[in-house]
Amino acid sequence: MTLAHKTPLTPLDDAFTPEGGKQLPAPLKSLRDIRSKAITGMALPNRRTENWKYSSRYLKLDPELAPQTQGTGDADYRSVEGVYRLVIRNGVVDLDSSNLPSASGVDIRRFVDLDDVAAQSVAKKLDTTLDHGTTQLAALNTARLEDGVLIRLSADTSVDKPVYIQYVTDAGASGSNYPRVMVEAGQGSKMTLVEEYISNGDQPVLVDSVSELLLDDSANITYIRLCMDPANVRHIGATGVKVGANAKLDSHCIGFGGDLRRHDLQVRLEGQGGYARLNGIALTQDRQHYDNHTAIDHVVPNCDSDENYRCLAADRSHAIFNGRIHIHPDAQQSHADMNNKNLLLSTNAEIDTKPELEIYADDVTCAHGATVGQLDEGSLFYLTSRGIDRDTAATMLSMAFVHELVGQVPLEDIREAVNTRLTDFIEASFRRAAE
Amino acid sequence: MLTIKNLHASVEGTPILKGINLEIKPGEVHAVMGPNGSGKSTLAQVLVGHEAFEVTEGEILFDGQNLLELEVEERALAGLFLAFQYPVEIPGVSNLQFLRTALNTLRKHHGQDELDAPSFMKLAKEKAKQVDLSPDFLKRGVNEGFSGGEKKRNEIMQMLMMEPRLGILDETDSGLDIDALKTIANGVNTLRADNRSFLVVTHYQRLLNHIVPDVVHVLANGQIIKTGDKQLAMELEEHGYGWLGINEAEAAG
Repeated sequence: MTLAHKTPLTPLDDAFTPEGGKQLPAPLKSLRDIRSKAITGMALPNRRTENWKYSSRYLKLDPELAPQTQGTGDADYRSVEGVYRLVIRNGVVDLDSSNLPSASGVDIRRFVDLDDVAAQSVAKKLDTTLDHGTTQLAALNTARLEDGVLIRLSADTSVDKPVYIQYVTDAGASGSNYPRVMVEAGQGSKMTLVEEYISNGDQPVLVDSVSELLLDDSANITYIRLCMDPANVRHIGATGVKVGANAKLDSHCIGFGGDLRRHDLQVRLEGQGGYARLNGIALTQDRQHYDNHTAIDHVVPNCDSDENYRCLAADRSHAIFNGRIHIHPDAQQSHADMNNKNLLLSTNAEIDTKPELEIYADDVTCAHGATVGQLDEGSLFYLTSRGIDRDTAATMLSMAFVHELVGQVPLEDIREAVNTRLTDFIEASFRRAAE
Repeated sequence: MLTIKNLHASVEGTPILKGINLEIKPGEVHAVMGPNGSGKSTLAQVLVGHEAFEVTEGEILFDGQNLLELEVEERALAGLFLAFQYPVEIPGVSNLQFLRTALNTLRKHHGQDELDAPSFMKLAKEKAKQVDLSPDFLKRGVNEGFSGGEKKRNEIMQMLMMEPRLGILDETDSGLDIDALKTIANGVNTLRADNRSFLVVTHYQRLLNHIVPDVVHVLANGQIIKTGDKQLAMELEEHGYGWLGINEAEAAG
């Protein structure tokens, strides 16, 4: 018997590659068709696929997940103040529910509204920020394209309020959606982009999202990704970023676990003086899963990157962190710092962490560290000796573990909201464990 | 208030306390002295419920309740407070958040309203001042980066906030200069009341010049070998533990 027999290849069900994209302009429709053809019948990643080693068991693309999710009509958008709101509902841009900036220099358009010339330009850039060898399911997003959003910032444009994309998934019935966002940040432009995934309903649904950010020289983008929808939402997401000379990416990815949660964040530092900060928090409980795969490519000299991811896994949950840093041969004077700290809140939880460093230049500094630990009994004793019950004490210590990263979320309103939601999530986990 | 009967406790199978008997009445201050390794700190830790210590025999009654049946936090709510010898540092949890949670938990337990943020701040600042601790410390992580003396002040400050029925001081004087010692003693003395008692664990007599005990016990090899009044502490200071026939090295095991 060979290994191949033990892990038979599961092909992507044909239900996932239906005809569609009829509203798309021709160049994008054409790209859709190419991707669709390429992935028809493709073998899904299994446990022998390196970048899905720990997660393939959660990847169950049953045909019932294939249909496009449909709106139930009862829009339930969480209200967010002080932002430009852009709603993408079930993968389709909902301009009526959005509140977009009117200032010149900011151009936000649906893919379906692009003329052929603009569509041609977008089609050329789509999928260029991601390594397709490691983001196999991002191709499924392109293959299922129905719409998308193009956000273009002209040179030196500063968007005065955050652009807040709410991805709404109606999970009243099983299905899937494929939101797509492309950001082109011109030279010296500045914007905060927030992506929040929300959902109503309790049926199993799949969200396969791809966001690509192209930062021209000296652009400054703060990227906040909040993936906190309920566990029934299976989410495969990819964010690809190209960072130009003296440009800056400040990324904060915060998420709760679910039946399947995967985020690939791939950053390419392509211009000298570029900088990327990648912060991440993943919390899992019950039997949830969360898999963060990050990759930072230092392509040219004199770029810095700082990465700090923290995972907390409770109950029987499973959190994964894989951080790759690739220093290319020309990238002298690169400084890369990667840190991943993990907290196991239960003896039945599992955390897998793997730093991957590939360094092909000799004059660089590259530091990495990964730890897995448990709550400190001495600290728990100290807090409980002051009358604080054990669950509250454990929640306080868990929040202390992510305190530094939450504190670095640049917008106070979002920081506060994140703090509250993380606390509630952890509290619920300890409550359940106590029952 | 506190009655300890024939208390035996061990850590990882090694007996440390070997039959302690002690009775503290409301309003009394008891000092427990003894050489290193005699079991003083173990007694303090056992009282508040540290799980590293296993009580193998005996009982502890606190206001008539069986203390050994209570969880750590229940003992605190019942009115026990330990000022730790080595307070832990907890980065990421602010002193303020910690104290407010603790105090409001206690208030809720007593059927009182929780303190809102401004009232809490006012109280915390007042108590911090009492032990010469700058209010800036309130914003920092619990004991994070505090010097030894600042940690001890913080312990007493917490005790002033919590107003326990029984305050236990575990070598609070160690590592303090005389000014800090006086400040801390003053803090404790302001809490002295007819219905509040203290158990002061110390190696040296000097703290007892400032917190004057009603009763002094000498602990050696897990047992109280002598009990007296404050004179006993002074005699120990003068003659050393050898005067009572204790070989310090042996007692330390």
